[in-house]
Amino acid sequence: MMMTRADALVILLCSLLVAGSYAWLWTPAAPATQVRVVAGDREVARLPLDQPRQLEVAGPAGITLVEIRDGAVRCAASPGSQGICQQAGWLRQAGDMAVSLPNRIIIEVLGDEWVFDSVNY
Amino acid sequence: MTLSRKTRHPIPALALLLCLTLLLGACERPEIHRDRFLAFGTLVELNIYTADRELAARASESVRADLDYMHRAWHAWEPGPMGRTNELLATGLPFSANPSVLPLILDAQRLHEASEGLFNPAMGALFALWGFQSDDPRGPPPQPEQIRAILEQMPSMADIEIDGIRMRSHNPAVRLDLGAYAKGYGIREAMTHLRDMGVENAILNAGGDLIAIGRPGNRPWRIGVRNPDGNGVLASIEIKGDEAIFTSGDYERYYLHEGERYHHILDPRTGQPARGTRSVTVIHSDAAEADAASTALFIAGPEDWPRIAAGLGIDKVMLIDDNGLAHMTPAMERRVKFEGSAPEIRITPLP
Repeated sequence: MMMTRADALVILLCSLLVAGSYAWLWTPAAPATQVRVVAGDREVARLPLDQPRQLEVAGPAGITLVEIRDGAVRCAASPGSQGICQQAGWLRQAGDMAVSLPNRIIIEVLGDEWVFDSVNY
Repeated sequence: MTLSRKTRHPIPALALLLCLTLLLGACERPEIHRDRFLAFGTLVELNIYTADRELAARASESVRADLDYMHRAWHAWEPGPMGRTNELLATGLPFSANPSVLPLILDAQRLHEASEGLFNPAMGALFALWGFQSDDPRGPPPQPEQIRAILEQMPSMADIEIDGIRMRSHNPAVRLDLGAYAKGYGIREAMTHLRDMGVENAILNAGGDLIAIGRPGNRPWRIGVRNPDGNGVLASIEIKGDEAIFTSGDYERYYLHEGERYHHILDPRTGQPARGTRSVTVIHSDAAEADAASTALFIAGPEDWPRIAAGLGIDKVMLIDDNGLAHMTPAMERRVKFEGSAPEIRITPLP
């Protein structure tokens, strides 16, 4: 069995292509660094967690205030009468979230390192 | 190129085939696609394990559409098929039932009987009286004579006579509120639809109650059960096949009035929020039955829950009582792994 230079080149190129695609597609996800804010059915913001800022999000019940500080995000103020959105506290782990049902707003920390696939409550 | 030349170089050809196979493998790696949105009056989370990104997106749209439709059809206090059904039941005259609500009512009758009347969605008037037929429930709690007036009329699922699609109520106080059942029924139907679309591994979680099918690759689904006191996760449960996990807790919907907390799980015998229980978690193959059972077992309380669970055919139950004691069936104990410090546990076999 003889292998020509062209055959060797094909194998080399294929190997490089496969190695490159694995490095590109299978790189482990970075730790949670972003927060996603959804109002109603629409994503209104996707923000980095390492840059302090405040964001006012309008919903049907009023304004929800989203605050980012020290690598975490919280629902600082929201119109629900029971303060459920604010009670979620500072969110910093992937999957953490605060929800205002009256104002139809979801604040969630993005990432792939989830401890649980889903939480029952 | 001759056949003999082809056969002289099998190694590069095989290598090329292997490269392409591995490349395709890299492109179609299955992963968990997560989506969160508001539907059915609550937060809905859909996790789908698939390599087909387009299928995951279509599945999310399907779940939204299904839950929106069912929410409108079964809403207890907004105009729609359930509202119209309540109007017609109040007349006492026979009428043709709306096909979107009839199967729920039939199932609810069966579960009402099996739970010895503790699951009683005919008491919509009581839920309204307490202010829980609202998106933002508030006090004050009703006066005792107002509660007594409803209890004396004893509205019950057994008061509804059903013959084919014809229906009538023999008690004008019957007013349906399927809030303790519709979510379980709804996510079961939405998951059935996802299966028909080709989804094989998924979790659909609506407001903390969930149904799971399949598994994400070679491992089981990992579910956290939130501590009823609100501090983190109490326990974890692994799911390897098709199962639902439902929890009824006194922390879900409530209001405070003059320092007293009033939650939404009302005891049809007293007309008051059920006492003695913080939460009940049920694992069962059927999401709709798990939903109704978690409510009925919460109302049954720390003494009577085993009898009611046996009547409902539910063998995996965990009840956390007011003192933090975890009551469990043996089948549940085998499934629950406590995270951090475990509570005191009492294992109770079903009768």
